[in-house]
Amino acid sequence: MKNNVFLLLSVIAVLVISSCKKDVDHPSHPSNEGEVITTLRLTFVDSANTSDVRVAEFRDPDGPGGIAYDRFDTIRLARNSTYYTQVLLLNETVTPADTISNEVLQESDEHLLCYTPGGISATVVVTDIDSNNLPIGLRSSWYTTGAGNGTMLVVLKHQPGTKNGNCSTGETDVEVGFPVAVN
Amino acid sequence: MLDDHDRTRLEYAAIYIKETGQSALSDSAGHYRIEGLCDGIYTVRVSHLGCDDLLQSVRIKGSTNMDFHPEHHTEDLQTVYIAASRIADRTTQTTVLLDKQELERSRGLTLGESLHEISGVTTLNTGNSIAKPVIHGLHSNRILVLNNGIRQESQQWGSEHAPEIDPFIASRLGVVKGAAGVRYGPDAIAGVVIAEPAPLPDSAGVGGEVNMVGATNGRSGTVSGTVEGNHAVLPALSWRLQGTLKKSGYVRALDYYLKNTGFVEADFSGALGWEKERYGAELYYSQFNTTLGIFSGAHIGNLTDLQIAFDSETPLDTCGFSYAIDRPYQQIRHDLLKANAWVSTGTAGKLSVVFARQYNLRNEYDKHLPLNDSLAGLNRPQLLYEIISYTTDVMWEHRAVGGFTGSIGVSGLWQANATEGRLFIPNFENDRYGAFLIERFKQPTYELELGIRYDAQHFSAYRWIYTNGDYLLTNPQRDFSNLSGTAGFIWKADSSLTLSFNAGTAWRAPSVAELYSSGLHHGAAAVEFGDPNLRTEKAFNTILNVQYRKGSNFQAEATFYCNPIRDFIYLRPELPPTLTIRGAFPTFYYRQTDALLSGIDVSAQYRPWRKMSVTGRGSLLRARNVRDNEWLVMMPADRVELEVDFLPTARPRVRENVVGIVAQYVVEQTRVPANSDFVAPPPAYLLFHLEASTTLQWNRQQLVVGLSVRNLLNSSYRDYLDRFRYYTDAMGRNIVLRLRMPLAFTKAEKN
Repeated sequence: MKNNVFLLLSVIAVLVISSCKKDVDHPSHPSNEGEVITTLRLTFVDSANTSDVRVAEFRDPDGPGGIAYDRFDTIRLARNSTYYTQVLLLNETVTPADTISNEVLQESDEHLLCYTPGGISATVVVTDIDSNNLPIGLRSSWYTTGAGNGTMLVVLKHQPGTKNGNCSTGETDVEVGFPVAVN
Repeated sequence: MLDDHDRTRLEYAAIYIKETGQSALSDSAGHYRIEGLCDGIYTVRVSHLGCDDLLQSVRIKGSTNMDFHPEHHTEDLQTVYIAASRIADRTTQTTVLLDKQELERSRGLTLGESLHEISGVTTLNTGNSIAKPVIHGLHSNRILVLNNGIRQESQQWGSEHAPEIDPFIASRLGVVKGAAGVRYGPDAIAGVVIAEPAPLPDSAGVGGEVNMVGATNGRSGTVSGTVEGNHAVLPALSWRLQGTLKKSGYVRALDYYLKNTGFVEADFSGALGWEKERYGAELYYSQFNTTLGIFSGAHIGNLTDLQIAFDSETPLDTCGFSYAIDRPYQQIRHDLLKANAWVSTGTAGKLSVVFARQYNLRNEYDKHLPLNDSLAGLNRPQLLYEIISYTTDVMWEHRAVGGFTGSIGVSGLWQANATEGRLFIPNFENDRYGAFLIERFKQPTYELELGIRYDAQHFSAYRWIYTNGDYLLTNPQRDFSNLSGTAGFIWKADSSLTLSFNAGTAWRAPSVAELYSSGLHHGAAAVEFGDPNLRTEKAFNTILNVQYRKGSNFQAEATFYCNPIRDFIYLRPELPPTLTIRGAFPTFYYRQTDALLSGIDVSAQYRPWRKMSVTGRGSLLRARNVRDNEWLVMMPADRVELEVDFLPTARPRVRENVVGIVAQYVVEQTRVPANSDFVAPPPAYLLFHLEASTTLQWNRQQLVVGLSVRNLLNSSYRDYLDRFRYYTDAMGRNIVLRLRMPLAFTKAEKN
């Protein structure tokens, strides 16, 4: 009987000690933790004049929540032009910044970027494709016609196993509605 | 006092206690009451005209309910049946414990769901596997959960964080309704949930029981076993070991499976007790482990996804049946180590000390791994919370002095919380000290109770703040203190009518999430901001309970309550929405207001014939935000329940037979504030359930068999307090079979 008691007690002791305690007053730095997308940067190169490079960016330096975004640009384009457009996604909470768009490219068969213009005469044609011949959207061509102001909704969807070429499935990783001015 | 042959109630039976000389007469319903007895063994003599005197040795421990069955005929005086069970000390607050049948029916359910048969108690669900108990409309940090007498300390602030308790440990399961701050300490604003094991065995023998539960929806299985013992060579020592295993796959709504809704659970506990006449000690350890899948259709990225999910009749992500648990899932562990001791301080009273350590680990895994391969390779949870709590309570109870009994005590809590992963709540340390005094004046027909308590709490957080391009570690500290009081009155008009009234206060400090959360609430599609300057929340609750019993075939109970809460903390939607890289999110701020919650719980049971019993239950709640003159959000809708049971005649081998049908009607919650929810509350619903049970007996072995069919008609419905109602219907028909087999390995010693 006594042996049983000691056995039980030692089992309990081991179980109690095995639940280790973390350092409460020295929490690890948030930039070591997880992954946030802080920045969406669109770079436009004029097909007629490759030295004409335009950048539009949305940046929330600590990700969703916390402090508010500190940069939200208007996309400014010239009418009747064609732009080669590239998407860059960054995590700028770490130094050097982590280029999330590279990871998106690596898992391109699970990701899709969609572009929806609102109130402007511009069309977007995605020019990159994944291993299943479905669009990715990190690269695209933008065709502007008349001048005007409007919006362009840029959406990145994560669609593991459900990617079919449109943005109706999956979970939204990025959704930014840029104001657009075509002059 | 019952006749041993036909169980008629015996009037004018005399009960005499040899040791103390106390005596009582049974009333017309056969009831009697003897008060002021100390724990111990007494010799009782029961005399009744036409009966032989019944001489019986009886063990009293706390309030003891004892039925005597004197034989009316001297010629067949062979067996005397004695049944004794410990009942709770009557509190002036309304305490409702599950009765034997309700407890049987609840086996296999989660702790939260187990309490749903108590009127005024509902659940806040996150799908089928996460259920938080709601008392009178309040939950989470506003109710206290007592796990074997110890206040459960985990991440209660989260609405998807269910109490980490295996209900199979408990033989006493129930709630205390109303503010109970003095007796139980802070947080008991709306009430207390009690889950308590049976006392350790006090007579020699080794016994136990095995429970098995199988359910069709989710194809789940549960096995739970208990072994306990006490030995004649060492009568002071007793022990118990208990364990539970549970596994469930995807559950099914009317037309489709809910993907990733399976879970596994493995729990165990052990207890060791040493009890002598004048002192005793007990050591208890329990561990709770679960891994539970979160319905994948409910994991959404932003408002657009949410809108698509709302607009879809069925979830977008459906599938066949599986037991697999994929991301998103939660992994939770809770350990409780409890050591307590008591010593009798002579005739004056009893001193007891309780020490407990709790360890709670919660890992939450998001739907997707990080995009970065090296991060993804670690497969770390996106959120980790680890909280360790130590509690100590010292209490001295004094014996009756001129009708007064009472207790005085101090308690302490030391707590440290560490988090990793996405920033949602900060690390913190929390210390709290309290002292209380409760006195009670008892008379045969009435009791008065008065109590007072003071608590002081120091809270220190370690919080990262993003400023000037980098994270800065800050150390905000808060001190909270509060005085609580209670005044109660019980009036026992006669053995059929009892009135109890309590006015009590309770308070709680704002929770860490309410103070410091600042971020996207994953799955809730909302950005939530805490307020570091929140004040304590204070409840002043009045509750009146009326119990009426007429003969053995009618009993009714009604509870009226009114709970005004000052500085009630709630999430208020405010404009503008927060613009993030994932789109615009509605933004909620933790604000304070004055709230008033009032309502009525009723239940009644009528037995028109021996073979039939009708039970009705209902609850009604009105919850107002007084300052803004509007309703409070997420309050349970009014509901009624009617149960008709048939009780077929017992046979020697088939006893305690019940077949019943339950109709449950929940009205649509129309009392909601404007513009505070994504979709309107779901419509009213009516569900039918079937409940049947019996006890089979062969030789000395018993087998209790129960069968339930929940949602008999396989109705599709959604409940307002189910957080997944946005995405999916609630569970369809579920057929549950329960088996319970008490075991006796050695024959118990006969007195």
